[in-house]
Formats: sequence, C-alpha cells, structure tokens
Amino acid sequence: MTDLAREIWQTLGHNKLRTALTGVAVTWGIFMLIVLLSMARGVTNAFDYNMLSRNTAMIRVWGGKTSIPYHGNREGRYIEFDESDHKIVVEENSGYVEGISSSISGGGKLSTPKGEVSQNYKGVYPSDFTPSRHGDIKEGRFINDRDMKTKSKVIVIPQYYAKQLFPPEGEGALGGRIDCNGLSFKVVGVYESQWNREAYIPFTTARMLSSNQNKFGNLSVELKNVSTEADGSDAESGIRKTLAAFHNFDPEDENAVYISNDFNNALTGKMAMGILDTCVWVLGILTLLTGIVGISNIMFVTVKERTHEIGIRRAIGAKPHKILTQVIAESVAITVLFGYIGIVLGTAVTQLLSSVIGNADMLRNPTVSLSIAFEVTLVLIVAGALAGLFPALKALKVKPVEALRDE
Amino acid sequence: MIRLTDVNKTYQGVVPLHVLKGINLRIDKGELVSIMGASGSGKSTLLNILGILDNYDSGEYYLDGTLIKNLSENKAADYRNRMIGFVFQSFNLINYKDAMENVALPLFYQGVSRKKRNRLAMEQLERMGLAERAHHLPGEMSGGQKQRVAIARAMITNPSIILADEPTGALDSKTSHDVMEIFRKLNAEEGKTIVIVTHDPGVAEQTDRLIRISDGLIVPAAIPADGISKPQACVMPDGGIITPPEIV
Repeated sequence: MTDLAREIWQTLGHNKLRTALTGVAVTWGIFMLIVLLSMARGVTNAFDYNMLSRNTAMIRVWGGKTSIPYHGNREGRYIEFDESDHKIVVEENSGYVEGISSSISGGGKLSTPKGEVSQNYKGVYPSDFTPSRHGDIKEGRFINDRDMKTKSKVIVIPQYYAKQLFPPEGEGALGGRIDCNGLSFKVVGVYESQWNREAYIPFTTARMLSSNQNKFGNLSVELKNVSTEADGSDAESGIRKTLAAFHNFDPEDENAVYISNDFNNALTGKMAMGILDTCVWVLGILTLLTGIVGISNIMFVTVKERTHEIGIRRAIGAKPHKILTQVIAESVAITVLFGYIGIVLGTAVTQLLSSVIGNADMLRNPTVSLSIAFEVTLVLIVAGALAGLFPALKALKVKPVEALRDE
Repeated sequence: MIRLTDVNKTYQGVVPLHVLKGINLRIDKGELVSIMGASGSGKSTLLNILGILDNYDSGEYYLDGTLIKNLSENKAADYRNRMIGFVFQSFNLINYKDAMENVALPLFYQGVSRKKRNRLAMEQLERMGLAERAHHLPGEMSGGQKQRVAIARAMITNPSIILADEPTGALDSKTSHDVMEIFRKLNAEEGKTIVIVTHDPGVAEQTDRLIRISDGLIVPAAIPADGISKPQACVMPDGGIITPPEIV
C-alpha cells in the first residue's frame, strides 16, 4: 500500500504543472458542489426551522361570505363562529381533531411614553402558547386561566418589542404598562423568539373589546393522527362538511369559509425541499463531470506518454492488474487530493457566508454536514476510479514488447 | 537451459510474413552466446520469443525445463520476472526513479518489502561498482553507468538467463568493452547463462559461441554437428568473416 502510494507520488510529482492544472477543474467542481449543497441546505434549514417552530399539524379556518344560495338561504351571508363551533368540530371529527381554539386580533398599535410599534394584540387561550413552538418566556408568565376568567387587561410581548417600547434594552418592561386604543395593559410576561412577534392578551379580554362580542372570525384546529397528504385532505373536508352542515351552507362553496391546510402545505414544502436537494446534487455532479473528463483526458495522455515505461514494467514482470491498479489509483489520488482542496475551499466560503448572512429568513446555517462531506468523498473516489478506468484499460493493451522499441 | 524445437512464427497481415521457419536451438547452462543476424532475419522475433515477450505458432520452447507456450499474461509476467533478466540497448531505466529504485523494481513486482529489496538493490549496485551512484537519477549518469544499473536490475531476481538486446549499441567502444567485461565476469564467476543479441562482430567475438540467424533459420555452420567441437568460422551475409572465439 505504501509502495503504491510512493509510486503514485513519484509519477504525479513528475509532472507537477500538468497535474495541478488538471486538478483545478476537479477542485472547482467540488467547490461548486459544496457551495450549492450548502446553499440548498441553508434554504432547507430555514424552511424546516420555520415549519418546526410553528405547529404544522394545523388547519386554520376563517369565516367568509357565502356565494351560493343553499337550502333557502341567499348568497352573501357572513359566516362567523362561536364556542358552539368549537364543540361540534371536535365532536364530529374526533378521529383527526386534537383541539380547537380561536383568536381575536385588534388594536393596531401598542405604545408607551417612550416608544410605539404597529402591532395588533392577539386574544388567545392559555393553551395557545407552547414554548417550543412560539418562544421562550424570559420573564414573568403567559396568560393564565385567572386572566381569562377576570378578563384582565394583561399583555405578553416579545423581547423584540420590549426593547422598542422600553428602550434601550427593555428593562422595566415586566410590570410596565402599554397603551392600546386608550386602554392600559399590564405586561405580565416577556418571551423570546426568532420569528414570533405576537402581543398576546387573554381571549376573553379581546372578545370583550371586539365590536362583535359573541362571534369570532377564525378557528385554529390542531390535528392528530395525520401523516400523509391524504390524511390532511380528509381532515380538511371533514371540518368543511361539519361547518357547512352547522352553518347551513353548500359544502362546495369555497367562499363561505377559507381553509388553510398548514399540514398539507408543510408536506408539499418538504417535498419541494427534497427536489431542491436532488437538483443541487445533479447540478453539482454535472459540474464535477467537467473536472472528471479533464482527469480522464490527462490520464490518457499520461498513459500514452508512458507507453514505453509501461512496456519496461511489463517486461520486467509487472502483471496486468498491477498496471491497471496503478493507473486507477493515480486517477483516484489526483481526484481525491484536488477534491479535498475543493471541499476545504467550499467549506471556508460557506462558513464565511454563514457568518455574514447569519440566520436570514430564507437562508439558515448554510453549511454542509459531516455526512455530506462523506458522500462527496465517496463521489470523488467513484469519479476518480471512473476517470482512470478507460485510460487504465488502454494501458493494459501496452505489450511488454514496447520495452524493446526505441523511444 | 534453453531448448527450441522447430519453432515457427508468422506475422499475420495482408501478406502473412513467415519470420521464423523452424528454429532449432539449444543453449546450455552456463553458456555465453551471441546471436547475430541481419535486420529482417528474424533475430528480434527470436529474442522476443526467448524473452517471453511474444508468442510463437508451433514448436516447443523449454526454458530451464519449463515449457513456455500459450501462457496467460499473468504467467508470462511471472516467468519473465523470475527467470529472465533483460538488458536493453537503450537501458530502459525509469527516468524519475533513482538507480536503487530502478534496480529494486523487479522485486517490487514480486511483492518483496521495500526495506529488503532496497538492501538487495544496494548489494547489486555495489557489485557493479555504483554504490555511490545509488541515489542518482538515470539522467545524471553516463551511458556505461546506466547500462551497469540495468545489468544490476537484470541480476536482482537471480534469473535463469540474462537476455541482452544490443547491450553495447548505444555505447562507445571503451564502455562497450567494460560492459562486455561484466558479462564475461558474470558468466565465468557465477555461471550465468547469457544470451547477447548483437550486430557487432567485436561483441560476438567476446562470447563463447556465435549463433547466426538468417532468413528465419539458424545458420548451421555456427553449430558444430557433434555439438562438442569448436565452432567453425562463418561468413556473414555482408561478406564479413567471423572467426570463432576461443573458449576460455
């Protein structure tokens, strides 16, 4: 093995410039592959992060206006929800529905004497905030049942707004007061999240403040037992049927309620990410192919140039497989050597990009993992062996008699 | 050591070329012989067959008691490696390997460890008086030195025969003489069987026996009928007369 390595080192060193020039193509190919892969990884990471941080096993429903007359009801009727909808949706779709809630938004602007932000409050249930999905409570607490019962004017805000409303660093935010539409809310909790910017108040409080006190415009249905797109669609149509029967509108009426199937959207998104990944591999490998052809070409030239030498080796007793192994090993050596330079450069560039861009919305942690580096290594070895195969077969055709020919 | 019986070789082509037309040849262990012949006489083909570099069509070739016929590439490579030491006109050293590595190369193909083969290579180089040149590349050596490295390489596997193809063809007369001295010494002191193909009568004179080949056949005059008496003087196709060398 070390003998083979020495042989390769000697022959490669024999033609340094040419070896280097050929290698550059491979370096470039691998560099592109790594950069492309890490970019794709960044997009996928961002997608996963956004999806994971939201609960994707959800179907959200908004009330709309009917567009088809149905069972004696004219079109143009507004559909709104109340607690009875919660009850019936859960009852009739118990196979899929884990829980249901609604929220009421309003306000439009939050302010303190020191700052203001354009942000609606969102009236929610205590169970609507899960630390792993929505953010970590840094100070204080979230809305509790007592707040709900007493319809108290309390608010939970993200750190992001705490800094703006209580500049510079949000000190004194907890226990502080925030004005909204002339009402004063007490801050009972501050949470931290990369993406969540909601200002939460108790659902009951929000309902009291809304103009239409008994009704609300949306339903958030939490799903269970769903794994495929078909499951998601079943759940969606089940909910639609229940609501259609309950509110007496045509189930075919797309405008009566608007349904956003987050679960299926997430599945589609994941599939798109898979396709993106595949495309990147294909592109990367095609780029690499240019390098491989270069290596193959140079190995052909090398074999041609060394015909006499191969003849000598054959004459003094080199068996055919030794010649074959050596040519292929040389090819793999060049490919892997320069491929690794490409990996190092590519990784360096993506690290640099990662530190410059950081965690933007569309690109998160654009770096390649160890498993990709391993896969790329495998690709390199296979590619190198392929590049060397045909020149090696040509080398095999060199007869030992070549040794007797004059150069 | 070498026994050829009715060996024929035809090169197929548009016009088939019958180059060896029934060669009968016997070279005994410890002989130092030369083979001479004009170009086109079949001399090179005979050398290729003796060196297991080429196949023949019919007849038999025994080398050291082994029938050499229709061998696989692997078997042929193995026999060449173990039984034959080659010395070429143009030295055929690998130009990016130093003298020691060149000498050790046949052992590399036998799978001998690096340490051991380098030690054996150094021994051979010392015998050739080239120990201090062991780490020089062929390009840094004179023709005579290169040929001595090549002889060391041929000797390292302790082969049954040394086949030399015009070993002095690229050397001046002084160096030629030195190289021939080495062959004679190897023959005399170690009893090596050595076959030298040459067109130089001066070289042929320094061997014990001259085999002449002409038009695909061994010229009988060179082989005494009884196989014991001294060879006769023979006339070359170009008219030159070669007197048989004295057997030492």
